[in-house]
Formats: sequence, structure tokens, C-alpha cells
Amino acid sequence: MHARGASVKILMLALLLVCSSCMRNDPENMTAEEADQLLTTEWVYATALDQLKYNGEVITRPPGFEQLVMSLVIPTKGGLSSNRHCVYYQVPYKEKQGVLIVEVVKNAEACGETSGENKNFLKLTGIDKLKVTFQNFKLNLDFSYNKKSYTMSTPLANIESGLIHEKYQGLKEKRLVSGLRLLRLSDESFDFGSNKYLGKLSDRFSRGNAIRCEQVNKDCETIGENRCDQCRYGWYEVVDFQCPQGGSKFCGQNHCGEKNEPACPRGIKVIDPEEAGICQSDLEPKPNLDKILICQ
Amino acid sequence: MKNYKRFIVPVAVCAVVIGAIGYYFYKNQKNLSNPDRFIQEKAAYLRLIQNSSEIHKLWEAGEESREWTLIKSDCFKKLGISQKFDESLLRCHPLLLQCHAEFSKNLTYKIINVEEYENSAYRLMTKSNSSYQGLRETGVALTIEDLQSKKRMDLFLTDQCHEVYLEQRAYAYGEPVDAKDGDDYRFDNFNRHIYLDNHLVTNSEINDWIKFGNPDFTRGLKSKSGDDLFLPAVDLNYSQIENYCSFKGKQVMLAHFFDAATFLPMDLAEKIPKKNLRSPYYWTKKASEYKADCNLIYSKDCVNKKGYQLNSTGPSWAGIHDSMGGVFEVFRNPIDPESNLKASSFYFDSKSSWHKLGFRAGWNGDGFDLRDFDFRGLNPFVAIDRFQVGFRCMREVLP
Repeated sequence: MHARGASVKILMLALLLVCSSCMRNDPENMTAEEADQLLTTEWVYATALDQLKYNGEVITRPPGFEQLVMSLVIPTKGGLSSNRHCVYYQVPYKEKQGVLIVEVVKNAEACGETSGENKNFLKLTGIDKLKVTFQNFKLNLDFSYNKKSYTMSTPLANIESGLIHEKYQGLKEKRLVSGLRLLRLSDESFDFGSNKYLGKLSDRFSRGNAIRCEQVNKDCETIGENRCDQCRYGWYEVVDFQCPQGGSKFCGQNHCGEKNEPACPRGIKVIDPEEAGICQSDLEPKPNLDKILICQ
Repeated sequence: MKNYKRFIVPVAVCAVVIGAIGYYFYKNQKNLSNPDRFIQEKAAYLRLIQNSSEIHKLWEAGEESREWTLIKSDCFKKLGISQKFDESLLRCHPLLLQCHAEFSKNLTYKIINVEEYENSAYRLMTKSNSSYQGLRETGVALTIEDLQSKKRMDLFLTDQCHEVYLEQRAYAYGEPVDAKDGDDYRFDNFNRHIYLDNHLVTNSEINDWIKFGNPDFTRGLKSKSGDDLFLPAVDLNYSQIENYCSFKGKQVMLAHFFDAATFLPMDLAEKIPKKNLRSPYYWTKKASEYKADCNLIYSKDCVNKKGYQLNSTGPSWAGIHDSMGGVFEVFRNPIDPESNLKASSFYFDSKSSWHKLGFRAGWNGDGFDLRDFDFRGLNPFVAIDRFQVGFRCMREVLP
């Protein structure tokens, strides 16, 4: 019995040795090269770059204190949710070394003003003269490390700064390469049970089950966030308050103009406001309680 | 004591072996921990990004790329294509990537096949078949592997080749109305970003819907191959057509937007003309300039002159093909729902009065026999077993 226990212990110790040797290096004790590789493999997937305070400037103040210099939203493996990487920098002062710290905040929630509240993803000690530059969808971190200058450069292919609508052309995006994104696919990415997009194919306004993805009020203010990009089967606009940004919007298959469905928008410049909705020729647009024109 | 010996010997041997493995890994890790390892790993990532960009160039250039000229014959052989078709359809087309994966040589990467989809080099990703957050539109996902480092990267390519943006201006629906009969039905799309498919949906696109879409909505549909791949899909009923466009996050082309994209504006500089004067032919402002030309309208007269193919005629002013002639095309018409069919087609000769923009027949959306159509008495003169009804989709994009 005694012998069996001892044997198990020996085996456990041996396994521990194997496992520990396989583990990744300590995030608290990294070289610039390791940090560079680790950040690139994560940051290339960044979908947003926020709170970049000193774009293109060497950060020298406040000496000896830590501050948030930027944050990036990174999709998790499978792409079902996102984390936020909060990037902090402590400016060196006397005995205090310059430190770059990257913390991970789940669900892309806000970063704290200083590090310490969340799990450290990376800590690089001994850096100075940090300059963060985001230009042409490339993120550069320039700093001196071990008395040598070092540049970490990462292309951010998933950052988009808007769309380009040009007549006769397809939709173009302002990004590193328009029409190209980098994903982090896994089996979970194709698991329908995890699908959080909005709406079913059978949803209809007339059945009362269409999801409103944007609500515009009578003062032409958008109430809440616009979720139309989340619609699983597209979205359509209704005619309500004739606002410059258009009317409220719903997810799903468009049946505008049909009986008990919303009228289709007819425009804002060439017709009188009372004719702003399109209905089938045997139907009349009439406002409902939300002032949405319905074909009846 | 005997028991002890019986255990200690094999355990000791195991411990030595495991320890040796551990030492090997540990040593190896130490060796790899040098800066070169990280520099190489980063370089591999940058190479993958560079390769992604090269694949994207090929995706957009399609038949104009150098790679295509090298793999074209192998690709056509594999796909069973022998007849001519408009090869610009290969731009932003996943079959091009499939052939690139199989036939391109001397690449520094390989495209990883998706086993669960018959070793396809790609998979179509939409918001309905994927849970990946942040997709705006449908696209093609593929995984590439850097041959040197074996590192992989997943790409998502969107189709920016087969839609056109409809300029924001005032338009009119249907045939021109005589002044004595009232006003034109006018509308506008100011402050709206509308994109129209520039060609009819093809069989190869329906194949991808069958392969990657929800089987509940594609039941009964059969995949096409060979020369049918780049011909329009013409055997879907209206409900399937609606569901296909929804799968793509779009809607069936609305009749009045088709009119907007096909009636040639008299003055392109004038966005809000007092009247929307329009000619019944998409290529000219004068109705008197009608001519029977198979490059303008692929009518019945053309069938014996040249084989029908998609995009057989030039684009309209807005950039959409096959505005007249070819197969029938169904729309959703929220104004006159029974006028939902572009009857200008190869079922009527060039003198037929159906060859006019805005003049539409009706289709019940269910069948393809003569009884399923309403030609307002202007029926085709030949007996057709099964009419071919094509379609296209459109979408609105948030600002």
C-alpha cells in the first residue's frame, strides 16, 4: 500500500515536470521580442482601437505614474464575444522603471484608469520613450529597451473607419484592405445554438413579432442603439416621422406595401409628406399608434 | 517486500521515461525561448497577412489576374465548363478560390479544406449560419496555412464585385404616364444607401445556399454543375427566392428600384428634374432609336445567332446587366403586386411590345407553365414547357 502511494507520487512529480516545461513563459517576465510576437498574434484581430490619447507623441508625463494609453477590442476564439486589451504605460522616473502592461477585460468592458484590476496579459519592464502611432491601419509602438530602440508594428486589418458609397460601384470599406477581414474561427463559430443575431425568417410586422432595431422619435432622435447590423436576415425601414435619417427600422424579410405591413418609404424630396408611404394600389397608408404608416 | 518490488521497478522505469520526455521538452523550450523564435513567429504572422492580401487581390481581379490564366484550363476541366460565359462573374467568386487551392503552384501557403463540406476550400458565412459576431454581410471564409511555420489564419472575403450603388436622386416607377392621364409615380432615395445586384443570381450561388444554408429552406432544390454554374437560377419558386435573398441579408429586387436603375435619366447632372422623362430602352433617351440588336436585347431572334449567357447585354446607366431580354425576371412590386415580371425575354421576338422598360407581366410565383403567368393577352407564340424565371436581390446599407 505504502509502495503504491510512493509510486503515484513519483509519477505525479514527473508529470508536473513535463507540464511545467510545456507551459508558456511568465507574462510578468518577458522580452521585447516575446511581447512583440504575443501582441501581434492577438492585435491583428482587433476590431476597435479606443482611447488612444497620444497618437504619434512620445509619452513622457507624468513621470513615475501609470496611465492608460489605449485599448483594443479583440474577438475571442470562435468570435462569439470580445475582450478588451487595456494598455497601460508607467513612465520611468528615478528608480521606477518604465513598464508596459496589457490587461484583459472580459466582454470588452471599460478599462480601469490604472492596471491591477484584471488579469495581466503581458508586462514588459525596462522600456522608455514610448510612442504609440496609429496610421494607415498600422499600429506602431516605438520605445527604447535595453538602450536600443525597438519598434513593434502590427497591421490592424479589422479596424474600419467608415464606408465608401460611390455611384456605380460596390460597397467599399475604409480599412487596410477593403473587403478583407481576419477571423478567429473555431467549431463554436458555426454552432447555431450560439447564434445571437436577431430575428427569424418567419417574423412579420403584421404578426407583431418583428424586432425593432432602430427607433426614431417625433423629434427625430434615435432612441437607444441602432442594432440593425445585428439582424440575421437583413432589415427594412418604415415611414413614421419623416426624419432626415429616415424612419424606424425592423429586422427581417421586407413585406412593405402589403396588407397590414408598413408602407415602403417613397422618399423625402419629390413627394408631399402625406404621400410618403408606398402601399399596394388597393391599400391606403394609415398611421398606427407609433405613427408608423401601415397599409390597410 | 515482494509487492514493493513488483511496483517499484515499472514505476521507476516510467518515471525515468517521463522525466526524460520532460527534460527534452524543457530543453527544447529553453532553446526556443531565444528572441529568434519570437521574431520568426511574428514573421510567420506577417507572411500570412501578406498572403491574405494576395488572395484578396486574386479574389477581386478574377479573370483579369495572372493566376487565372495559369489555372483556367484545369479549373474549367474540373468544373465541367465547356461553353463561353462572362468570365467577369468569376470576380469575388469562391469557385475561383477553389481552383486556386487545387491548381496554383509554388505557393508559400496552402488553403485548408473544410472536411465537413466535401473538402471545399471555403465556406459561405452569413449571419444565419454562423455565430461569429460583427459580420456585416455574407462572405467567404477560408483558412490558410503558412508552409514554413505551419501557422494558420482565417480570412473572410466579402463580395464587392457584384453590386452597384444606386445614386441618390429622383426616379419614376413604371411606363411614362401621358400628361392627360395624371402624374408619374415618382419617388427618391435621398439619404438611403441602396445596393443592387448587377446580375441575376446564378446556379453556382444557389449551390452554395444548398451547401451552407439551412436545409429546411432549400428542400427540393438540386445543385447544378458544368455549364449551368454560371447561368441564372431559374427554377426557384417565389418563396424560395425570398428566402435566398434573406439568407444573403438582402431582399428581392423591388420593381421600382429596378426601374430606377434601368430608365436612363435625361440629364445625369440634374438629381431632381421637374419631370422624370424616360425612354422605354435602357441605352437611349429616344424611343425612336430602338433597334433589334442582340447586344442590347437578347430576344427570340438571337437564340439561333448566339448562345444565351448571363450578362448577354450591356449594362444600364446604373450598371445592372440584362435589363431587357434573356430569361424572365421576377421582382417584388409593392405598388402593383400583379405586375411583378420582366417579360422582355428570349420568349418574344424583337418586335414584341414586351420589350419595353417598366412594362411588366405577372407571375403567381408557384409554377412555370403558361397558366402560372399573366401575359395580358400578349402570349408567346410558341409552346413553352417550362418558362425560366430569374431574379436578383438588393439591400440597403446603414450610413
